Amino acid sequence: MPKRSWQRRGKAAMDLIEFFSNHVFRMVFFGTTVIGIVSGALGAFAYLRKQSLISDVIGHAALPGALLAFLMAVVVFGINGRNMLLLIVGAVVTGTLAALFANAVAARTKIAIDTAMAISLTTFFGLGMLLLRMIANNPYPGKGGIQDYLFGNAASITRADLTTSVAVGALALTLMIVFWKEFTLRTFDPVLSTMLGFRARVIDTLMFSTIVIAIVIGVKAVGFVLMVAFVVTPPAAARQWTNTLPGMVALSAVFGGIGSGLGAYLSISLGNVPTGPVIVLVLFSIFLMSLLASPKRSIVVTALRRVRARKALRRELMAEGRNP
Amino acid sequence: MTPIACECRDLSVAYREDPVLRRVNFCVPTGSVMGIVGPNGAGKSTLIKAMLGLVTPLAGTSEFFGKPLDDVRNRVGYMPQSASVDWDFPTTVIDLAVMGTYGELGWFRRPGKAERARAMAALEQTGMQAYASRQIGELSGGQRQRAFLARALVQVPDLYFMDEPFQGIDAKSQQAMIDVLKDLSAQGKTIVIVHHHLGSVLDFCDHVTLLNKSIIASGPGEETFTKDNIRIAYEASDGAEAFLAEAG
Amino acid sequence: MSYVIGVILLAVITSLACALPGVFVVLRKNSMIVDGISHAVLPGIIVGFALTQDLNSPILILGAALAGLLVVLGNEWLSDTGLLAGDAPQGLIFPALFAAGIILVSMDLQHAHIDTNAVLVGDLNLAVFPALIVNGVNIGPEYLYVMLAVLAVNAAFIAVFYTRLKLTTFDRQFANVLGMRTRLLNTAFMFLVSMTVVAAFKAVGAILVISLLVVPAATAQLISKRLSVMMALTAVFAVAGALAGFWIAYVLNTGTSAAMAVFYGAMFVTVALTAKIATHIRRNRRSSKSTAAAISAPNVGAVAGE
Repeated sequence: MPKRSWQRRGKAAMDLIEFFSNHVFRMVFFGTTVIGIVSGALGAFAYLRKQSLISDVIGHAALPGALLAFLMAVVVFGINGRNMLLLIVGAVVTGTLAALFANAVAARTKIAIDTAMAISLTTFFGLGMLLLRMIANNPYPGKGGIQDYLFGNAASITRADLTTSVAVGALALTLMIVFWKEFTLRTFDPVLSTMLGFRARVIDTLMFSTIVIAIVIGVKAVGFVLMVAFVVTPPAAARQWTNTLPGMVALSAVFGGIGSGLGAYLSISLGNVPTGPVIVLVLFSIFLMSLLASPKRSIVVTALRRVRARKALRRELMAEGRNP
Repeated sequence: MTPIACECRDLSVAYREDPVLRRVNFCVPTGSVMGIVGPNGAGKSTLIKAMLGLVTPLAGTSEFFGKPLDDVRNRVGYMPQSASVDWDFPTTVIDLAVMGTYGELGWFRRPGKAERARAMAALEQTGMQAYASRQIGELSGGQRQRAFLARALVQVPDLYFMDEPFQGIDAKSQQAMIDVLKDLSAQGKTIVIVHHHLGSVLDFCDHVTLLNKSIIASGPGEETFTKDNIRIAYEASDGAEAFLAEAG
Repeated sequence: MSYVIGVILLAVITSLACALPGVFVVLRKNSMIVDGISHAVLPGIIVGFALTQDLNSPILILGAALAGLLVVLGNEWLSDTGLLAGDAPQGLIFPALFAAGIILVSMDLQHAHIDTNAVLVGDLNLAVFPALIVNGVNIGPEYLYVMLAVLAVNAAFIAVFYTRLKLTTFDRQFANVLGMRTRLLNTAFMFLVSMTVVAAFKAVGAILVISLLVVPAATAQLISKRLSVMMALTAVFAVAGALAGFWIAYVLNTGTSAAMAVFYGAMFVTVALTAKIATHIRRNRRSSKSTAAAISAPNVGAVAGE
């Protein structure tokens, strides 16, 4: 693993001015925050459609696509193989193929959906690892650091990458807002939405594409392997605080953004810790706190209430028995 | 007084904090065919599951032949709701029936010729011998239920619990199963059936329990299966009204 | 023992050790839980390595397997709270543990020099070192014997609990009524799976181990009517994939485990398509036969109809 030594003199903590005056740190901070916001907002739909794990499949399966895009760029077009847009396109293609493959296997054979997802995930990922090895064995230009697709390297985010992430993320969010009504109906009442004539397949494809985009824009900063956490964790946390869809999408985006920004800051100021995993841990902490502290659904409060209610019920039933 | 095959006392079950069964006292005389009927969500399946320990009750006890279940497991047979198993599981009809012997095999014995012969005999009883080597997923709804009935027969219990055995099956399968039930009843076996179709309960049950979270009535069919009881149990739901209108 | 034979044997034994419990993983619909386990054992392995300095140590294998079991129980607990929808409970804990593992790897506290690439795919070609020397004779890779032991434990567990595993997997309620301790059996089985994942980690890594566990069994399920047949076919597919994977990797000069995963995937697709075509042909033949029967004896049908 390349060392993520953030080239700074040994100091216990970093003040915000020093942090934001550094170009690389700024890029890392804003890049990961944008990714967090976009994947948080779109992850809410994946969560509500009960398709959280498919994002793990898409994340792993995006690897061969990104690597094929690299090979295409270098071998066919002779351009920079690590062009962010090309990388996203490649990742979206194989990520989508893997999800379609898993669904087709589950629908057309006796294999259950979870096994179908596992088959899809490992096969595509195995292909990715073969390509990675092949690229490593050959003298392609610009292949240095291509291993970062796995776990990301936030320090490698350039201004152009940030622009691309923002543009693609904005496109996905725009799609979400434009088709808000259709997405909502399709999520909560698929049968009604088909009856009302919204073309189910079109809406599904659109919604699915935005989710795939939410997963793959994180490749450079976070890497494909951990992106599942960006899509699954913020909505799971947000769900504990709100019952409405707009509330959930907004809060999930906020959690994603805050978690990513905070994680980026922590990883840099602690020094020598990879950014993606730190963000994942921050997001997970937000989730745990939501489980504990949310006013209506806190697990502690709920558990206590349940024990009390069951005790009261038992007493009530006993009392009925004594005076029939 | 006839001896009791199974009974529960003050059985209460709650899902999370909502009561599903309230202080159910239920007893089945040996040799009877007891139908449990009631509207959807009345807790019919929950009652037999709680008695068999598949659901942990909030309070109450159950006994089988005067003993706790652990002492008499080999005398109790169970036929689950068909939706609860995986139909893509790689097993043939005969394998399924052989599973009825697993309870008595213990740790190291494997089913052999004797067990397969017993399974085959049970399949003949339910008219399923022609399908013995089919994978269970290839069967129709009625054939599936007959295969599961065969498995329960292989257990050779004295007391059968059947959860909605007639759900979604064809007339031929239903008749074949009723014939088997009558046969078992003639041999003095006790049968407890969860059933949702009011019209056919008395076709094969001599005892009826009307249940809606608590027992409305339980006893010999002609005493308990009355219009008034049905109306109380179903709280004037459409299905019951239609049935009552038809029955005059 | 020569290097190449060592690698081949290791590939075959590892694939068998994973594929046997894989049969029940697939039938219990636990495949994505294994995905969680395989990611989550990473911090367990790193901490275990820091303590034992030996990836083959049984203490490390059992300790890290507990981390995997933690994910299984944690997932169950999260689902039981009823606060989360769909399969989300399965997707929350493992990325966090995996992230913790990656941070530990990058800090390289214990100078394990495990690189992240190896975390994901392992390296079968390196796993054959060191060799076990008995009385001055090289009797093959030390790690081969670790995997042999895991295979033996898995085979013994499945042999002893075969009827119980079968029944609890197929019809858990019925098993409960027969008095089987289904919960205990389930936990024990998941611990075994977790242990297998940890042991195979060095050779095939965290993600491709899922392939070894799941794909041969899934391929076998496509064409099996009986569990015993499925077990046998799983073993055949596992070994075939191990050999083919080794050969492909050898020709392409690439990682054996990645080649195995890709070959397994291709094998699954081929068998699925072949089975589809076969049933299609069979159905056509059957329906043309029954049409012929109906045409040749129309009167019989008419009489029966009246």
